Amino acid sequence: MRPCGVFDKSYALDIAIIRTWQHWAILISALLVLYLFPLFGSYYLVSFINLLSISIIVVLGLQIVSGLCGQISFGQAAFMAVGAYTSSILTIRYGVSFWLALPLSGIMAGAVGIIGGAPSLRIKGMYLAMATIAIHFVVIWLILHMQITGSFKGLYPMPPTIGGFEFDSDERMFYIIVTVMIIMTYGARNLMRSKVGRAFVAIRDNDLAGEVMGVNLYYNKLLAFFISCFYAGVAGSLWAHLITVVNTEQFTLLHALEYVGMLIIGGMGSIPGVFFGVLFIRILNELVMFASPALAKAVPWLGSSPAASLGLIAFGLAMAVFLVFEPRGLAHRWEIFKSSYRLYPFAH
Amino acid sequence: MIEFLQHSITGLMIGSLYALVAAGIVLVYKSTHVVSLAHGQLVAFGALFFWLFLGGLGLPFWVGLIPAFILTALLGLAIERVALRPLIGQPLLAAFLMTFAIFISLEGVFVLYLKGETRTLPHFLPEGNLVLSGISVPINQLIGFCVALLLFGLVSLIFKYTKLGLGMRATAEDHRLAQSAGIVVKNIFSYIWILSGVVAAIAGIATANVMDIYYMLPYIGINGLIVAICGGLDSLIGALIVGLLLGLVENVGAAYLDPLVGGGIKDVAGYAVLLLVLLIRPYGLFGLVKIERI
Repeated sequence: MRPCGVFDKSYALDIAIIRTWQHWAILISALLVLYLFPLFGSYYLVSFINLLSISIIVVLGLQIVSGLCGQISFGQAAFMAVGAYTSSILTIRYGVSFWLALPLSGIMAGAVGIIGGAPSLRIKGMYLAMATIAIHFVVIWLILHMQITGSFKGLYPMPPTIGGFEFDSDERMFYIIVTVMIIMTYGARNLMRSKVGRAFVAIRDNDLAGEVMGVNLYYNKLLAFFISCFYAGVAGSLWAHLITVVNTEQFTLLHALEYVGMLIIGGMGSIPGVFFGVLFIRILNELVMFASPALAKAVPWLGSSPAASLGLIAFGLAMAVFLVFEPRGLAHRWEIFKSSYRLYPFAH
Repeated sequence: MIEFLQHSITGLMIGSLYALVAAGIVLVYKSTHVVSLAHGQLVAFGALFFWLFLGGLGLPFWVGLIPAFILTALLGLAIERVALRPLIGQPLLAAFLMTFAIFISLEGVFVLYLKGETRTLPHFLPEGNLVLSGISVPINQLIGFCVALLLFGLVSLIFKYTKLGLGMRATAEDHRLAQSAGIVVKNIFSYIWILSGVVAAIAGIATANVMDIYYMLPYIGINGLIVAICGGLDSLIGALIVGLLLGLVENVGAAYLDPLVGGGIKDVAGYAVLLLVLLIRPYGLFGLVKIERI
């Protein structure tokens, strides 16, 4: 977002994330409002933002592997489950503190992700998407059939503490989750303008050409999977300690499909797109939740609780509409708006 | 030995269902190069339509069959017309993602209709078991198995000997070349989706014959997809062989490995096989190997 007449005079300025003092002002005031939000926002909104932030972290990871590197992954829910279970097991069974378990669960999910991403060395596109679906089911099956994960009963991790202060409510967890989300967003945005990010984009656009130009395909594909699953694992850990119940019902294939849908609607290859996509789907879900009791009353055929299935229908339709009419997602609209703002008040 | 053969026969019966589901996916892929995740929904809706006419309205078997076929074929046609036709010329991945959007929407409709209940088809095939030197085979499953084999033969014949089949094969080869040879590619797409709808309806009825219609039924489409990919997406014979094999592996594996690992082999065997096949032969066991150029 730059007004008309601001020009980049150096490369450093050109790739800078924050370019003008107005940007700094907007950023700092937005952060202030966000961090003070639990003081005046309602409980409902605070927990909604918690959910949004966790989804944003997961979809950021997906953006890196699918949007930047071009490897479609339907395994994100399973990798999130790996993170959630790792964190719970470490804190419950081994007494590791949450602050150490958080990055460890990310690394664990990343390690599983490297194994899961191994097929990407030989296959791509739709075949890889199917392979990740297979990995999803294998991971969930393993979780259900191991002793340490509590099998079908699941696990009950405790809320994190720091020096006797317990983060045991949504308002308190808000600070941890939002802080992690901001750090992860910065990390993803920074990755995009690094050498690794450019290598990912080269693989996405044409992997053979990229390889000829000296991009190590194997290393970079596995790295993309590692980073993506690291994000999912961290999100899983936060999720586990937020709701303090972990079972495999929370990480089904439908959840994985939902994350891919958020990515499509937001727009592939763009960090703001992640925010748009997650917001769009979550708000759509909430709207359906609000509307469905009234709908159920008006149309008795729908039964007593149509919210879940109506949500699926709305989600599928939204995705179909975006694929047909705006395949580049909401991020593309945002780009159009930005470029017209930059030209204002001139036409060209 | 008898025990092993019994498990194998049961596995083959289940495997023929997988092959039937995979057949529809292969059909669509062969001419449009779209991998359809939505096929599981077509199968489930085929079963549901059949139930509506048989269990709901109480029509006799042969009368109920025809409207079920027509409705499922129309559903397939609608998917092609409304959702996939606008994506012609877009990257193939977009079409794949579109089929998964359709899968999710139809899943919503399916769950909404069932409301958490299960529907069971009335017995429309002869009951009883065929016992052959100690191995018993349920007759209704045997009929399903024969129908599957017949259908594969029929579809292969259509592909090989009719003019329509020739058009479909030409379209599969190259859309633009087919068009310049006077084949209306859009019509071919419609025919193929109608055909795959009918195949899906048959698969759905055969499936509902052995299990209840409940909210997980559409996920048989994922098993079908596994079979289609392992067999090579453009090979009908591959779908048949791998489908039967998968049923065999699942059932025999479950019988002998379940006590060792505490159950659930059936849920994961297919995925393990898929990962293995993709790592060793990325284009499937019987698929055409493509060479990529920049």
